Amino acid sequence: MLDIRVLKALALTFFLSFTAGALLAQEGDLDRGEEIYIKRCLQCHGEDGDGLGPAAERLNPPPRDFSLGLYKFVTSGFDADMPNDGDMIRMITDGMPGTAMPGWGDMLSEQDILDVLVYIKYFAELEDEPETQTDFGVQVASSPESIAAGRVLFEENDRCTECHGAEGRGDGIKRLRDDNGDRTWPRNLTKPWTFRASNDPRDIFARISIGIPTTQMPSFADPASNKSLTIEERWNVANYVASLAKTEEVVNPANFVVQGTRAEGALPTTPDDEIWASLKSSTFMMVPQIVGGERFFTTANDTITVRALYDDAKVAIHLEWDDRTKSIPGDAKAASIADAELYEDAVAIQLPREIPTGMEKPYFLMGDGTDPVNLWRWSSGSTDKPESAGIVDAMGIEDQQPRGDSGDFQATGSFLNGTWRVVMTRSLRTSAPETDLQFEEGRFVPISFFAWDGSNSETGTGHSMTTWYWLQLKPAPSMKPIFYGALAGLLMFLVLIWWGAKGAARGRKARDDAA
Amino acid sequence: MRIPKLLQAVLVLVFVYYGFIVVFDYILGAVIPRSLLTMYMFFATAGVFMVFTFDEQGAHELVAPIKAMVEQPRFRFIRNLVFLIIPIAVGYNVYGRTLPSFEAPVELRTIHPAPPSTAKIYGNRVNLLTLENPFRHTQTDDPELFAEYVAEGAEVYIMNCQYCHGDKLDGKGPFAEGLNPTPLNFQDIGTIAQLQESYLFWRITTGGPGLPQEAAPWISSMPVWQDFLSVDEVWKVILFLYDYTGHEPRSWGEADAGH
Repeated sequence: MLDIRVLKALALTFFLSFTAGALLAQEGDLDRGEEIYIKRCLQCHGEDGDGLGPAAERLNPPPRDFSLGLYKFVTSGFDADMPNDGDMIRMITDGMPGTAMPGWGDMLSEQDILDVLVYIKYFAELEDEPETQTDFGVQVASSPESIAAGRVLFEENDRCTECHGAEGRGDGIKRLRDDNGDRTWPRNLTKPWTFRASNDPRDIFARISIGIPTTQMPSFADPASNKSLTIEERWNVANYVASLAKTEEVVNPANFVVQGTRAEGALPTTPDDEIWASLKSSTFMMVPQIVGGERFFTTANDTITVRALYDDAKVAIHLEWDDRTKSIPGDAKAASIADAELYEDAVAIQLPREIPTGMEKPYFLMGDGTDPVNLWRWSSGSTDKPESAGIVDAMGIEDQQPRGDSGDFQATGSFLNGTWRVVMTRSLRTSAPETDLQFEEGRFVPISFFAWDGSNSETGTGHSMTTWYWLQLKPAPSMKPIFYGALAGLLMFLVLIWWGAKGAARGRKARDDAA
Repeated sequence: MRIPKLLQAVLVLVFVYYGFIVVFDYILGAVIPRSLLTMYMFFATAGVFMVFTFDEQGAHELVAPIKAMVEQPRFRFIRNLVFLIIPIAVGYNVYGRTLPSFEAPVELRTIHPAPPSTAKIYGNRVNLLTLENPFRHTQTDDPELFAEYVAEGAEVYIMNCQYCHGDKLDGKGPFAEGLNPTPLNFQDIGTIAQLQESYLFWRITTGGPGLPQEAAPWISSMPVWQDFLSVDEVWKVILFLYDYTGHEPRSWGEADAGH
């Protein structure tokens, strides 16, 4: 039987006999490495290390193809054709944030990792050391001056903005592909938790200097490039990129509540009103919808930021999420960027039909037959029709009924530099309490969110989503607690005085009797 | 020196109070909800009161210091102090309770609810008490075939389960942080190692919506896998879960182990 395993063994023997010297210099053991690879790595990276494991199509980014020996996050020179061992050990040990590759440092020993490293390198017959190394020079510490200088270089000649966009959100709208022909998207530099290495300036410096091999991210150390930068300039750009990280609109795992504030003036009706930025925001993680109906494993939107305001009559909910593409079907530019089919961008808020009195809520994925939900939906429109908004009654992901008449519900959105902002408003109370949620000040209302990126062909049940969180319309401060507290204290005091007086009298009587 | 009974009672209650906090917050790792603590302390107080007033002498001893405080002039200063502190404490408590709360409601749910004896799976009523993994016997009968089944299970897992339960089966897949409740960690000794294969079969095939009420089926994001996977795929992925983690499925009794 001459199957691939036999061939591999033969090739291995052949390979070993010629390179025994080189291999002995390694500390890893090839056989043990193969064992570990089969148990821990093969499912994604494939038997032949080609990245074509069974789940490859459902992963974004796809698993690395080891047979090429090219790695993205390296520190060897931009003109070297292989990584340093240290780069690969780091990728295995720490994993790749924002991907399905976990850090193995807590499950595999250092020796295990060295063993599997030898096996992985064997797929591309990587030997020796990289010919060149990246020169990190003298690190320029981050400072306002360095950041300002970095920003100038970032924007100059469209050096970085060409792909990463004016504010670094990866919205430079170009259709990018890697060497395998797979679609790639420029990093949203404001979301450091998606950086595969880290957003430490040293890591960013490495990316700028070497580029990201196999992708269209070029080396800015390469003197042949007309956009190349000196070492000091690259440190400035790295400091600028690190400074782009969002600080406010990030997921706080301990927060489950959107706090609605009572408006002091009129409710804002546009998503770009300045008042929104002044409100406390809550940011939640979004994940692909892979639970019901037609599933979608590689959605693009990963967080959503929510704010809410209300007054005596209405509630206004503001949604903000980064989306690299403004997806307007019919638009030639949007179509040229879209992956396959181009659909509208859209967002929805999910609310129960009534505030639950006990623990039970509607099923988190669009309710069910016994507990339906309201979906407040907005979509971006196409060249043929403007943006649209309406309420959908859902009794499960595959039973969604858009309403003909959504009452006074309104929603409007605006797109700028890779961010959508949408504001939705509705009366606190409606004339149809049997089908519409009736808001009450102070009560906790379950709320969750869905988003569609039309340029990523997300439509129908293919979208990202959150789990249930809470919305609370926070009551304005009042004197009530102080009043009740003082009243209770006073009553208690009177009772004690009465009791004390009786006790004292009893004591006197006892002493008199004794005397 | 003998500790006065009243002080004894107070000390016991203080000990119980902090005992609950230490056990829940530090040992079990789940902060005890205030409402639950209040309820426990109510029962503890009632219990202490009953024990201390079991006979008449005990009751006398318990209230003696209080009686002395209000009746005897030499304790006047202490009495005045107590009569000031108690109303302030009561008033502050009422104030705190009438303040609007911004803390999200606490949700308690059973993580491993008792399974029903039968469940409707793939259109048939299945007896979960007698259900066995049809591939398990190969582990001893035909190890080579068993390894093949495990490999097929691994494929099912990586295509369907790792997004939430993780490549390492540690419940830390790339989507895990976006879910509440968070996906189970199969490496943990408290999950599949405590369960029978039929239990896993029930949980996988009927998913979140198949949970009983006490387990809050409305928030579990576990899909109903009988809609996506075949019976064989489910049994094979169960083989894989135990094989990868090194755990053994629980059986009905030691006598049955190995079958």
